[in-house]
Amino acid sequence: MPQVKIIAKNFMDMVASLPAIKLDKLYNNVFICEAILRSLPPLAKKYVLQMLYINVPVPATMMEEWVLADGASKHRVAIDRLIQLRIFSEISDRKRGTSYSLNPTFQNNLQKHIISGGVLPREPMNSDNAIKLPSLQELETYALKQWECFLLQLINSGQGEKLTGISSSMMKIFQRGLLSQRDKDGPRLTESGFQFLLMDTNAQLWYIIREYISNAEERDVEPADLISFLLELSFHVTGEAYNSNTLTEVQNNTLKDLADLGLVKLQQGRKDSWFIPTKLATNLSVSLADSSARKEGFVVMETNFRMYAYSTSKLQCEILRLFARIEYQLPNLIACAITKESLYNAFDNGITSDQIITFLQQNSHPRCADRVPSIPENVTDQIRLWETDLKRIEMTQAHFYDEFPSKDVFEAACDFAREWGGLLWEDSKRMRLVVKSEVHNQMREFLHTQSK
Amino acid sequence: MGNGERGRPNKKIKYGGKDDQKMKNIQNAEDYYDDADEDSRDGEGEEKKRDFTKLELKPDHVNRPLWACADGRIFLETFSPLYKQAYDFLIAIAEPVCRPESMHEYNLTPHSLYAAVSVGLETETIISVLNKLSKTKLPKEMIEFIHASTANYGKVKLVLKKNRYFIESPFPEVLKRLLSDDVINRARFSSEPYYGGDGFTIGKTSGELEAGPGELLNEAELAAAAEEKETHSFEIDPAQVENVKQRCLPNALNYPMLEEYDFRNDNVNPDLDMELKPHAQPRPYQEKSLSKMFGNGRARSGIIVLPCGAGKSLVGVSAAARIKKSCLCLATNAVSVDQWAFQFKLWSTIRDDQICRFTSDSKERFRGNAGVVVTTYNMVAFSGKRSEESEKIIEEMRNREWGLLLMDEVHVVPAHMFRKVISITKSHCKLGLTATLVREDERITDLNFLIGPKLYEANWLDLVKGGFIANVQCAEVWCPMTKEFFAEYLKKENSKKKQALYVMNPNKFRACEFLIRFHEQQRGDKIIVFADNLFALTEYAMKLRKPMIYGATSHIERTKILEAFKTSKDVNTVFLSKVGDNSIDIPEANVIIQISSHAGSRRQEAQRLGRILRAKGKLEDRMAGGKEEYNAFFYSLVSTDTQEMYYSTKRQQFLIDQGYSFKVITSLPPPDAGSSLGYHSQEEQLSLLGKVLNAGDDLVGLEQLEEDTDGMALQKARRSMGSMSLMSGAKGMVYMEYNSGRHKSGQQFKKPKDPTKRHNLFKKRYV
Repeated sequence: MPQVKIIAKNFMDMVASLPAIKLDKLYNNVFICEAILRSLPPLAKKYVLQMLYINVPVPATMMEEWVLADGASKHRVAIDRLIQLRIFSEISDRKRGTSYSLNPTFQNNLQKHIISGGVLPREPMNSDNAIKLPSLQELETYALKQWECFLLQLINSGQGEKLTGISSSMMKIFQRGLLSQRDKDGPRLTESGFQFLLMDTNAQLWYIIREYISNAEERDVEPADLISFLLELSFHVTGEAYNSNTLTEVQNNTLKDLADLGLVKLQQGRKDSWFIPTKLATNLSVSLADSSARKEGFVVMETNFRMYAYSTSKLQCEILRLFARIEYQLPNLIACAITKESLYNAFDNGITSDQIITFLQQNSHPRCADRVPSIPENVTDQIRLWETDLKRIEMTQAHFYDEFPSKDVFEAACDFAREWGGLLWEDSKRMRLVVKSEVHNQMREFLHTQSK
Repeated sequence: MGNGERGRPNKKIKYGGKDDQKMKNIQNAEDYYDDADEDSRDGEGEEKKRDFTKLELKPDHVNRPLWACADGRIFLETFSPLYKQAYDFLIAIAEPVCRPESMHEYNLTPHSLYAAVSVGLETETIISVLNKLSKTKLPKEMIEFIHASTANYGKVKLVLKKNRYFIESPFPEVLKRLLSDDVINRARFSSEPYYGGDGFTIGKTSGELEAGPGELLNEAELAAAAEEKETHSFEIDPAQVENVKQRCLPNALNYPMLEEYDFRNDNVNPDLDMELKPHAQPRPYQEKSLSKMFGNGRARSGIIVLPCGAGKSLVGVSAAARIKKSCLCLATNAVSVDQWAFQFKLWSTIRDDQICRFTSDSKERFRGNAGVVVTTYNMVAFSGKRSEESEKIIEEMRNREWGLLLMDEVHVVPAHMFRKVISITKSHCKLGLTATLVREDERITDLNFLIGPKLYEANWLDLVKGGFIANVQCAEVWCPMTKEFFAEYLKKENSKKKQALYVMNPNKFRACEFLIRFHEQQRGDKIIVFADNLFALTEYAMKLRKPMIYGATSHIERTKILEAFKTSKDVNTVFLSKVGDNSIDIPEANVIIQISSHAGSRRQEAQRLGRILRAKGKLEDRMAGGKEEYNAFFYSLVSTDTQEMYYSTKRQQFLIDQGYSFKVITSLPPPDAGSSLGYHSQEEQLSLLGKVLNAGDDLVGLEQLEEDTDGMALQKARRSMGSMSLMSGAKGMVYMEYNSGRHKSGQQFKKPKDPTKRHNLFKKRYV
């Protein structure tokens, strides 16, 4: 199983990790060039624009003069990023030292784009068209509902009805790393799975999209195509309907998956079919930091460890269940309690007290959010204390030896274990000792030689 | 009652959980009783979960303050504009489960509905008001439950006329139904003259004029039949009154009896000339509790629950002043008898010769034909031989028809004592006062029929916000056990010394000493240190040279020590055993340090906190943001990794449900305190350990007080192995020894200079 790290990586990091050929191919698309440009750190952006109309390599020494001394580190970051994305190519010359030039495809496209602007390959629907479009509000509700459905299915795999059109094989891909399959208990959330659920929607989306792209090849889809399509999608206008007649088959299939995730809404007209990007789609190319528009919180945490969540969402309920005991579910309120047991359960699953506290703080109800602190101090203290309580004991895998034939053998064994730094405990009266597991093999061999 | 039972959590003995299992291993078998409300929340995990998402939300649900669940649970938003009205209503019809800042929870139970009916709310009123306040449509189970629980309520009354008890009802068929019950039939006086076919006495009584939650209801809903009704009645044996009442409760015949006293029309009993003094201004919540009691112009029997320090005595005195008949006031001990007598004189215009105290030390008698008698439960219920003088006074009490029986601290008195008191004294109206309606022995429902339903219960947090009681900062101080003490603690042969070991933990002592110094010197506070364990109490008090009071301390000495504590600048700390839990009024104290406590008693914790709840200082300083926002401190010192931790969590439950929060402090005493605090060196610690281990088992145990029922409940199953000295009665020797020179040592004490800098305890919680 691949090691999955739950880091909300930027889309562009993924772009950067594409092989050179694919990356160059990506830059054929004007919109991707623009998206990449937007995603760059400010200094890198400036360099690109500065060099847009320079057709000869610029020596690195000259570029270094452009920045003040204290900007050196930023300069380094910018150059690294540009090289990583193959926007800059590095030319080393023994005489003149290092110099940089812009990727010609990228340069050309950007020049063109600046002059003529881009035209999306898809036409927006005319206003006189008879199809009634959903309002932005409706669209957002739709998007969140789809997303929630998806997440619910993700964590409740195996049980319950099929909620979305995502194929089960695809679901399995998403669940990889988030759920662990155990023979008896059925799938269980892993540590990463918990962390995933506690992340905000955008970060979660990133994770899923990343998985979606990195497994494209298994579905015979070119990842670069997918990336370019997704980036393009982010240039569409939220709430506008676009004709899907210009889409390739692969794109059409992708669109269906995206609809299941809530990124687009599909609408069938009389003869054309349309898709309407939602906020989730248009936020894709925005970097994570600025996209975390604060949702209104819903959790009221009381000093008596009772928690009231103003929510109708099944998913929220499932998330709360990760670390709290759900006691009452009302039409728009979930009443639960944080108990030692519920927390131990959470800790057991690898979720940390900080994650829980952060989750509570980020989601605290507006009525309590202004309070300082928004989560009662005694509750946060207690959550931390319970966690530290669990950490007081350190576990070391070890082996236990006894029934030594003689005192000499026992003492030799003790010395041997001590030399290897693996002696944990000895009882010379009854000739017993405990040795770290790492040393077990050597110990066994040693005892073998002794007994001969 | 099928429905009725559903709403009530099952009562049972709780063993479940690993903790308990652990407890059993390290301690003699003890039973832990939990009462109903806690049980429902501690439940056995998932199957307790209740899904009411199907309830239909009303379109304007945002403006309504509460949710009601089919199982009787009610959630109330405290930030709703309708909160105040909703709170008053809910407290009348339901039992509060927890009342923190933003969301309250209540339980609808047959008992609470009984209380609602007895304060004059009718079934339909309850349902319609609840429906108005609810965000959702009321679940039909709840409506059925309310109907089922209240259908029979308010139909039968118990009336005391000319020293005879009658059961009265407008419905002769109900009386017949009651008489078909064996217990009631036997209680009936057969000597009653025969009237008409049923043998019931027929009389007339005026209908009730209700004063319900007026803000929420229109006039039509409030209007109750005011015309005269014909009533039927029969007389019962006074000795059987309590049994009859019990038979009528919801869990039996389900015709709970209302007790009301039409004192204005009582021409038989002489009036008592007493008024409230003009300066006695009841606060809004006191006014409200009185209005529940006197809602329809008559006096209802019942219990009023107010936190300590919120002015219970003024409520009691006001009630007596309204009824204006002879009043018998019962307190738990001689000190509080004095305090009650004082309160009567303070708040009312009663003349000195109209009030008298009846204790073993002072046997006064009032002059004239009406007056107030203040005495203790023990004096009345005492079954041994009395002196001739006492016998006379008791005889007088027995023959008198009391207008009001005022009972203080009703939660501590054992049920059998109540029975006795109530059967000895005949009263028209009984008013019970308490701060904490929790008992570990599950006898709280007994109070329902012995005294009457709960009439009013104040919300602690609201009173804190209103500045009526002190804003207490609660803290749990974690004191790690020293290595040597912990090793002994874990040994099997020390099972009886476990408590002594964790209480005498040197780290705890040091934390205690540090806190005393900090508060005495830095803030000039007055401190009470509580210890249940007598051995610890004496050790601590001797070592720190502070005065102490415990069960065997004489009344005179107690008074002396308390006086010194109140007035002297040199006596700022007093050590109390659990005699100080209830009704010793020490308004000056504002800091409590608890070094040992009684197992998991939630009531004790609340009562102890109550010692410092009386609001001090200027109101504006005490409000949020004022310079003295927290002016009272409650520290509970626990030794980590011992059973004390388990108890501590349990004890705090009640206060936590009232909205209090306990901060955990892990860094006391500060590591740099060094030898400025006692038991610094290992030698000292070891010699202390030796002392603990060498003390007889009886010495290191708990103090037993007669009035202590929780204690008995909490260790009902403890097998006690007495030492020889205990069995032979030589135990008293110990008391004598420590009793001498106590007062002197308090004054000899010189304050040591504290080298440590000022510590802001509440900023530094982690090591």
